[in-house]
Amino acid sequence: MMEILTTEWALRALAASIMVGLMCGVLGCFIVLRNMSLLGDALSHAILPGIFVAFVLFGYSTIAFFVGSALAGLVAALIISWIQQNVQTKNDAAIGIIFTAMFSLGVMGISWLNQSQGAHLDLKDFLFGNVLGVSNEDLILSGFVLVYTMLSIALLYRYLFITTFQPKIAEAMGISVKTIHYYLMLLLSFVVVASLRTVGVILVVAMLITPAATALLLSPKLKNVLVISGIIGMLSALFGFLLAYAFETTPGPAMCIVATGFYFLAALLAPKTGLISRQWVRRKESRRILAEDIIRFIDKSPGDEVSTVSIFSNISVPNYKLKAVLKSLINANLLIKSERNIALSETGIIKANNLQRAHRLWETYQHNTMGIDPELVHWEADKQEHHLDDELLGEVERKLGYPKADPHGSPIPKKK
Amino acid sequence: MNEQKVIDVKSLSVSFGNKRVLTNINLDIFQGNSYGVIGPNGAGKSTLFKAILNLIDYDMGSITVWDQDIENVRKKIAYVPQKDEVDWNFPATVKDIVLMGRYPFKKILERMNAEDHKMAEEAMIQLDILDLKDRQIGKLSGGQQQRVFLARALAQKADLYFLDEPFVGVDIATEERIIKTINQLADEGKTLLVVHHDLSTVSDYFDKVILLNQRLIAYGNTEDAFTDKNISFAYGGQLTILNKLGVTKK
Ligand SMILES: Nc1ncnc2c1ncn2[C@@H]1O[C@H](COP(=O)(O)OP(=O)(O)O)[C@@H](O)[C@H]1O
Ligand SMILES: [Mg+2]
Repeated sequence: MMEILTTEWALRALAASIMVGLMCGVLGCFIVLRNMSLLGDALSHAILPGIFVAFVLFGYSTIAFFVGSALAGLVAALIISWIQQNVQTKNDAAIGIIFTAMFSLGVMGISWLNQSQGAHLDLKDFLFGNVLGVSNEDLILSGFVLVYTMLSIALLYRYLFITTFQPKIAEAMGISVKTIHYYLMLLLSFVVVASLRTVGVILVVAMLITPAATALLLSPKLKNVLVISGIIGMLSALFGFLLAYAFETTPGPAMCIVATGFYFLAALLAPKTGLISRQWVRRKESRRILAEDIIRFIDKSPGDEVSTVSIFSNISVPNYKLKAVLKSLINANLLIKSERNIALSETGIIKANNLQRAHRLWETYQHNTMGIDPELVHWEADKQEHHLDDELLGEVERKLGYPKADPHGSPIPKKK
Repeated sequence: MNEQKVIDVKSLSVSFGNKRVLTNINLDIFQGNSYGVIGPNGAGKSTLFKAILNLIDYDMGSITVWDQDIENVRKKIAYVPQKDEVDWNFPATVKDIVLMGRYPFKKILERMNAEDHKMAEEAMIQLDILDLKDRQIGKLSGGQQQRVFLARALAQKADLYFLDEPFVGVDIATEERIIKTINQLADEGKTLLVVHHDLSTVSDYFDKVILLNQRLIAYGNTEDAFTDKNISFAYGGQLTILNKLGVTKK
């Protein structure tokens, strides 16, 4: 399969795709963070009439296509913001109206050129890309757009950051939010036009938002997000291209599918934010609560020891869970197991003391500050005792004026 | 005392659509004071800030800051907006945000230098959030989040501060730290406007107050302007409840 990489057209196509992956990935982060995904989609669809006009005026010319499309994109952006500011139409509806209209004009124009004027313009190439038709000029143009976009983002990084995060603050600092917005629109239309050959107008939005959304799951720092997104964009382009070659299908959609694959991988596996790690945390949390409930149960039972049987009959969770948690408590030296009985160890007793303190302080807090009946405070405290850290408890205690006893008259122990 | 006038608001009126939110506000703000901006929800406190900062259009009136158009003096003004206007999932760390305080001093191609990083660090130390510097903003408690935005204002070394509800949703330690910072800034001759809700602490916290409810009810030294009569004027029917809770003074 690697032999295709020795042919010139394939290398050109691959280079163009990877550049597109990179610029879309990086720029897309700002599009996603500004909730402008729909506008990105709109700009890409809206460039078609620009191509039509360029062809009518200058014939088949890469430069003319580029200029025409970029202008069409900007015209769309301007009309959309004009409507948003002057007509009472919802923002996303305004976007929808304009981009479908411009897209339709483009489709009508290009089909007309093709069918009745006999021009060699295939609508499909514009809609889904025609990566194998990448010319040297296309490649050079993409290179320019790539360098221009990356430089702009690097140099304007601060402005993009603050106007995206807190536009009001940016304005209060004297940064022109509007100028940055329109400059971003300009970059967006350049990038969209450069992507025309590789992925086509319909799927550009995927290259803009999917890698960016993926990167946002993977890092909490904007600089890293930009880098990761750029890399995912390039990898999607590379693997999409190879995939398309292997299965003899269209590269643009294949790139989109690979990017989506990365997205779901991240959604499942991302450390901290991924579904699996969140599930894991939830499981750990529920085990911790169960462990604390067991400790409390033994502590509250008369005598030092409790029979294993009574734990199983009093705490209603599935036996296998209970067994596992008991075992881990014994391993952690919080519980001591004799033949049939279980007792708290020294550290277990300390733990029980602190839980009791949390429980009784919370009962007191509910009663004293919210006026809840002492009969009713127990249930809530049973739930909350697992979630009160020392700092919060200290503050509660201080607020309550260091109470000695809970509403039922039981003493509130000090922290051990 | 040579108290310089910092803000001059003349006959300011603001509406949203057909709805009048501020009517004929006349206000002089003097240097070196902390002003409590007091009034019920929807009184137009945040709107007053935004109008002075020229972030929204107003129907009528004129506003100058240090006798100038605000556009000329923005560098010296720090704004900490209400917390409900922040996107907490944004990939921004504490350090990133505090460093933003240095943005107004940088030309387009200029990079952040060691001096900027030092100022950001000092601000973080002052508000005791240095060890959180790599945390994402959403992964902080309410009090810590408020400290981050205040630290950004400090890093800006501004002369005029607009703090919108800095005490809402923060813990006691943070509230103490913030009020200490406010007093310290006022002592250094800075001017602060602070939207505040807890009427019981107004007299302790602020030298001066601005009582607002669509109209300017009263303003001036706290002991003169923050009277039961003015408070009841500002809060209208809600005062009976406030009295019951014992939050007004005396
Ligand atoms: N952007 C806006 N569009 C329409 N109405 C607004 C807008 N901002 C504020 N308002 C209205 O103006 C009034 C004053 O709001 P605000 O200044 O936020 O009050 P405060 O900060 O005192 O609680 C409220 O009734 C609010 O609903
Ligand atoms: Mg407000």
